[in-house]
Amino acid sequence: MADQLATGSRRGLKPALPLLLPAYLWLTVAIFLPLSAMVFFSFMTDLPLAEKEWAFTLGNYTAFFSQGLYLTLLLASLRLGLEVTLWCVVIGYPAAYVLAKVLKGRSREAIFLLIILPFWSNGLVRIFSWAMVLREGGILDTTLNAVLPFKINIDLMYSYPAVIIGLVHSYVPYMVLTCYLTLQAIDDSLIEAGRSLGASRFQVLKRVIIPLSMPGLIAGAALIFVPVVGSFMEPRILGGRTGTFYGTIIEDQFVAVFNWPLGAALSFILLAVVLIILALAAPVLRRAG
Amino acid sequence: MCMPRLTAFLTATAVFVSALAAQAAEEVHVLNWKGYGADEPWAVADFEKATGFKVVNDFFNSEQEMLTKLRTNPGLYDVVMINAAFNDQAMAGKLIQPIDASKLSNYADIAKDKANSPMLNHDGKVYGVPWVWGLTAVAINEKSFDKPPTSIAEMWDPAHKGRVIIRDDAVEAVQFGAIASGQNINDIKDMEAVKAKLTSLMPQIKTFWSSENDWNQMVASNQIDIGTYWSGSADRAKTHFKLPVSLVIPQEGAVAWLDAFSIPAGSKNVAGAEAFINYMIDPKFYVEWVTKVGAPVSANTKAVETLPEDAFNRKVMGNPEVAKRIQFQAPITDEQREKYLALWQELKVNVK
Amino acid sequence: MATTRILEWLGRFYIFLLLAFLYLPIIIMALMSFNASPFYQLPFEWTTDWYASLWQNDQLIAATWNSIEIAVITTFISTVLGSMASLALYRYEFRGKKLLQALLFPPIAIPWLITGTAMLIFFFGIGIGRGLVAILLGHVALALPYVIVVVSARLQTFAPELEEAARSLGANQWQVTHRVTLPWIMPGVIAGGLFAFAVSFDQFVVSYFLSTPGQTTLPVEIYAAIRKGFTPEINAVSTIIIVVSMALMLLTARFFKFGGEK
Repeated sequence: MADQLATGSRRGLKPALPLLLPAYLWLTVAIFLPLSAMVFFSFMTDLPLAEKEWAFTLGNYTAFFSQGLYLTLLLASLRLGLEVTLWCVVIGYPAAYVLAKVLKGRSREAIFLLIILPFWSNGLVRIFSWAMVLREGGILDTTLNAVLPFKINIDLMYSYPAVIIGLVHSYVPYMVLTCYLTLQAIDDSLIEAGRSLGASRFQVLKRVIIPLSMPGLIAGAALIFVPVVGSFMEPRILGGRTGTFYGTIIEDQFVAVFNWPLGAALSFILLAVVLIILALAAPVLRRAG
Repeated sequence: MCMPRLTAFLTATAVFVSALAAQAAEEVHVLNWKGYGADEPWAVADFEKATGFKVVNDFFNSEQEMLTKLRTNPGLYDVVMINAAFNDQAMAGKLIQPIDASKLSNYADIAKDKANSPMLNHDGKVYGVPWVWGLTAVAINEKSFDKPPTSIAEMWDPAHKGRVIIRDDAVEAVQFGAIASGQNINDIKDMEAVKAKLTSLMPQIKTFWSSENDWNQMVASNQIDIGTYWSGSADRAKTHFKLPVSLVIPQEGAVAWLDAFSIPAGSKNVAGAEAFINYMIDPKFYVEWVTKVGAPVSANTKAVETLPEDAFNRKVMGNPEVAKRIQFQAPITDEQREKYLALWQELKVNVK
Repeated sequence: MATTRILEWLGRFYIFLLLAFLYLPIIIMALMSFNASPFYQLPFEWTTDWYASLWQNDQLIAATWNSIEIAVITTFISTVLGSMASLALYRYEFRGKKLLQALLFPPIAIPWLITGTAMLIFFFGIGIGRGLVAILLGHVALALPYVIVVVSARLQTFAPELEEAARSLGANQWQVTHRVTLPWIMPGVIAGGLFAFAVSFDQFVVSYFLSTPGQTTLPVEIYAAIRKGFTPEINAVSTIIIVVSMALMLLTARFFKFGGEK
């Protein structure tokens, strides 16, 4: 419903082409064509290099099902993606609401910018800094022990929670800003009207605000869930020996054993799963709104 | 896209790139690990002044990446640093060419066992000039030990639970497991024993390291007691960064590796490459490198002899007793590599 | 009314907490750039040596300028092209639109490692090779989906009647876009641009594959450095970047309005 209402005032591909072509041509040259070469590789037994023999095979895809390992890790990665996305919603949505509806004027613009600024620093340096905070005898441990009357031992480093903290930190700005974009667009008079008709704050939130801001929530969730499922850098450094995920084994195929065909097949399986989840989730989320 | 056409494209590009490279024949393009001797600014300046060639450094982060760079950039590089265990693969892929050792005045001083290594010589031709060698052994945090341990079993000691570190590398992990279970690293008969050893090690481990910097940070913040480490890196951590690290060569043995220089096929400046390799194996360069920065052991006997008597690289690494314990890494086939990786991944997943 | 006031203050406090969370590692990063130990060792020992040696490190400085240059150009191109595409996807109904929308996700979902490898092979195939041009080509493509998704989210809140009304008043397509649509989606465009900058500026994997020794970017230098010589110079350069961009941003916020104030 919302889809049809909000879009498509006009029909036809022709008038849309001048606007679409530059972006999609660029994507085609720099991403789709290169990735099609990878799709091609994923059906080969070996790379087409001078000294190697190769043939077509489905083996790289069936390999996924032949070992429980891949499925276990894929599920672990999906769970990680889901948890990080949920935390980002829980933390980011209220912040977006305050930013859009409570703060006014210059301070809003300033905070809008301040929220994304940390991501102009280097990702690896940020992860190293988190290591300083989370480790035993690190900043969190020391501070809490200085404040609290009793002795506690905090060593979150190299654990699953550390991975979650690091990833939520990296991705929560996406949620704040996309939700802000749709929340800010909601006319204040709509909210006031609801309130004056006797609806409680909660009802207004549930009936008016959340449904109207749904596009932002969905966009934010997609921009977080999708890359987190394939991540390997943050889990490896912050997760230590618990930091092995689906992204790790894809990386191994490329970096450690030079088996590009298998690595490519594993990533296209990931892509397929992610797209299916998005396709299933989007209508459900929209209806929930 | 049609694959022969892609290959044709690659070749065409390569020819084009080589044509461009030909105009700059006075440059020596070197492919090596970053921060591994060949890119030391003082060395580059010294070499350029002495020979008039200009050095252009490029780097790789894994052996596989080095091979990929050689494959996709034929004619671009003049010198490449290759671990001896990969020399075979590079030669078989026609990525490197034979070297005329008579053009290198320092070649005669290279230890005979290294210079004649079957890994570097094929059909009577020299495909690699030994440069430095070192060990993947065990290093300790001196703060955690009153006296250095002698056995690899120390890593399984419950006293160090959660304070052990090993590298996130399938081949290194499996070969380490082979040593711990008393096997030949190049001919592992009992994979189950390796697996059992590593499985029982997993709960001891704090995290996996992937770069020298990881190791040094962990020691600096006193988070680890013991772990696998490279001899050159341990030396650098101690002498250059003044960290409480010392290397232990366990009685069970250690993995040794040999790094050598080769000249890629299609090099546009073979004379420059020869001059550069000769400079790199010169005792003068080595002594400056090892004192200023910290380095593995030179393959040049004269270079090692110029070190002080008590230098680690001379006293310990040159000790015949040590020489008996170490096992040099031989080439590994792709099948073995994938088998090792599968085992390593399984171990890492089961620990979760 | 009192409840509203309290809720508003709670909200402000919450934003403060979020900013504290976001800036915690940044503050530590900045502190460590003034700490003598190259391994972030405590106790803290004040030094400005890392800034002094950064000043001498021509390679790192050159890479930083490359990064800034590429990120700025990437931001500009991807924001313009991305906003145009979002408009088309919003305005027009045609067959295959869902496919075009779905195609935005492969660049985000496929790990950059694979995309980077694929780009390297393909760019060699078509003769672009490696270097700053290749990096730019790749960065724009990676940033585009982010811009399109973000701007589209904002467009979803736009009432098409506004465009219709403007048209019925005799405005041509350009005027409609320029006067009606663009001001409305501006916050989305700004947010998309900020993401595009971040995607490019912190992009390591793809840049790594596409860079050559002379033409490299800051993250590539950093990742190469951690193998051996990682020093807090990296913290120093990151700190300078953050401080300068914060100043620029606050100035921008002072003089321009883009938050979508009604």
